[in-house]
Amino acid sequence: MQAFDQSKEDASSDIAALLAGAVSDGASARQVAGMVASAFRGIDQALVPIIGQRGVAALYKRSVHLAKRVHPWLPRPREGVHPAMDVSALTTELALQAPAAAAAAGDHLLQTFCELLIGLIGSSLTDRLLRPVWAILLSGASAQESTP
Amino acid sequence: MTSKAIINRLATGVPGLDEILGGGLPEFSFNLIAGQPGCGKTTLAHQMMFALATLERPAIYFTVLGEPPLKMLRYQQQFEFFDTAAVNRTIRFVNLSDDAMTGDLNLVLKRITDEVTTHAPALVFVDSFRSVVLAGETGGNPHNGLQQFVQELGMLMTSWQATTFLIGEYFTETDGNPVFTVSDGLIWLRQTVQRNSMVRKMEIVKMRGQSTLPGLHTFRIGASGIDVFPPARVDVPTAASLNALLHAPRLLMGVPGLDDMLGGGLPRGYSLLVAGPSGSGKSILAAAFLAEGAREGQTGVIAAFEQHPNRSRSRSVADLIASGRVGLVENRAADLSIDEIVYMLMREIRRLDATRVVIDSLSGFELALAPTFREDFRESLSNLVTSLAAAGITVLMTSELEDRYTDLRFSPYGTAFMTDAIIVQRYIEVDSRLRRVMAVVKVRASAHSDQLREFSIDAQGIHIGKMLTHHEGLLGGRPTGKPAARPVGVAVTDPDG
Repeated sequence: MQAFDQSKEDASSDIAALLAGAVSDGASARQVAGMVASAFRGIDQALVPIIGQRGVAALYKRSVHLAKRVHPWLPRPREGVHPAMDVSALTTELALQAPAAAAAAGDHLLQTFCELLIGLIGSSLTDRLLRPVWAILLSGASAQESTP
Repeated sequence: MTSKAIINRLATGVPGLDEILGGGLPEFSFNLIAGQPGCGKTTLAHQMMFALATLERPAIYFTVLGEPPLKMLRYQQQFEFFDTAAVNRTIRFVNLSDDAMTGDLNLVLKRITDEVTTHAPALVFVDSFRSVVLAGETGGNPHNGLQQFVQELGMLMTSWQATTFLIGEYFTETDGNPVFTVSDGLIWLRQTVQRNSMVRKMEIVKMRGQSTLPGLHTFRIGASGIDVFPPARVDVPTAASLNALLHAPRLLMGVPGLDDMLGGGLPRGYSLLVAGPSGSGKSILAAAFLAEGAREGQTGVIAAFEQHPNRSRSRSVADLIASGRVGLVENRAADLSIDEIVYMLMREIRRLDATRVVIDSLSGFELALAPTFREDFRESLSNLVTSLAAAGITVLMTSELEDRYTDLRFSPYGTAFMTDAIIVQRYIEVDSRLRRVMAVVKVRASAHSDQLREFSIDAQGIHIGKMLTHHEGLLGGRPTGKPAARPVGVAVTDPDG
């Protein structure tokens, strides 16, 4: 497991490496979907207090819209009075794909979301807000790896 | 030891704001930042927050409805004061839009209370406060819910020892809004538009327990955030300082012969007006004044308000600026206020410990101002000159003078009365040539020459020549030869002096 780096580019490439590594280690699509889902739940937890449920939902919706150009099967977030990130629908759909395809789509969606946020509030603030999410994710993976 | 509570004053970190607040912001005060959309309320709040927040004094910034927080962060993070390392460390942003959308003010208050009691912030911001109220309006008197909300909030914040800011869009000060009564401080931001110019102004309508600087104070929002320009303080010179100035050696002008005409140079702390038509050599005289200072080891500042600074600035001034012996104040920004120019000028003077100041020219100075300030020009100029004189700084101002041969004018502004000395330059026609003459019109409380002297300008600068004693009617522009011309005299000092 690589050490967690503080810069965003490295952090997201760490996530890409984490997903790819899991696939090559024989992880199932369901496991990959679980990792992607925990990443988005972490993002949701980090951002909702600051930009609100609606703000996060709008960013997620836009990210899915953009990522669907490459992965058209990604599920559209549900509309409604209380828009939110629809992580469970994403998990279900990712679990139906081949592990490599699920990892590629999950990584692409995460990258798109981060790039969108960076475009809006800059890489420094994005990194500041999301760093703990990546740290938990990568340390979790690291802990799993070190478990006998 | 005193038994009275001591109110600490916090330095806001906004240049100039502490001064107009009367010494900073009272700790644990409950303040309102009001103004129309786009006038800089959120920026002011952020700038203060980033300056004030520390680990021991953390801040919470509540965003309610109104500007989406994502957008707010997008714009605020561009300012230099926005330190991303402070986010989630000394500063927490808390979004309350979901609670506010329910329209239940009690819910919003509960969320605020929960956050404040959990995290014990020393600084609390609620932005935008007005949207809290709008969300809570369910008919009837909109002030009822608001009043209760504000009172509860005020009570909570004061007892939790938090300095609080409610940021809100208010359009009129006279609607008897109860928030204005409850708050300890009321900072009102305005922007006025006249023709194509926009000027931002700040007023401390109220700040309990301290004496603020009254009136509207201009401010500017730049990359570093907000800069407020308090008016220049007019210090009345003391008898001792006046006496010291009186006995200090006079300043030399750097133009051979001119010091003699002035009665031995320009007294220190004096203001000198050099008036003359376009091209008569006013700026060259000003450059010589600065160069002479530099030769004597004195530093200077030039406030240059030319239309084409690079084209018209003399090489010697450019060299002095480049070498750091003369500071430059330019009208780079549009819509300047007099206070802003004075602020820039004083900053340069302090930086260089300057003793010589040139304002070139008063006409350009006036043009650089936003239209709304032009009517105050004379009064503000008078304040500026008085402040500089009180600080023992000698000022040379140039003034464009339309050549009129029917009357003798020194300044189009009526500025003559406020200056201690005046040199006037004129064109005259002699033998079908345009020639220049110069005279010292006034040196307050000092003898000076009354001669009208011809002068010429070449690459070395100004050369003062002789009196044209064989002509008369020089100031009429078209002198005539005297019938019995005598040889030209070379006396340069006043016979009385």
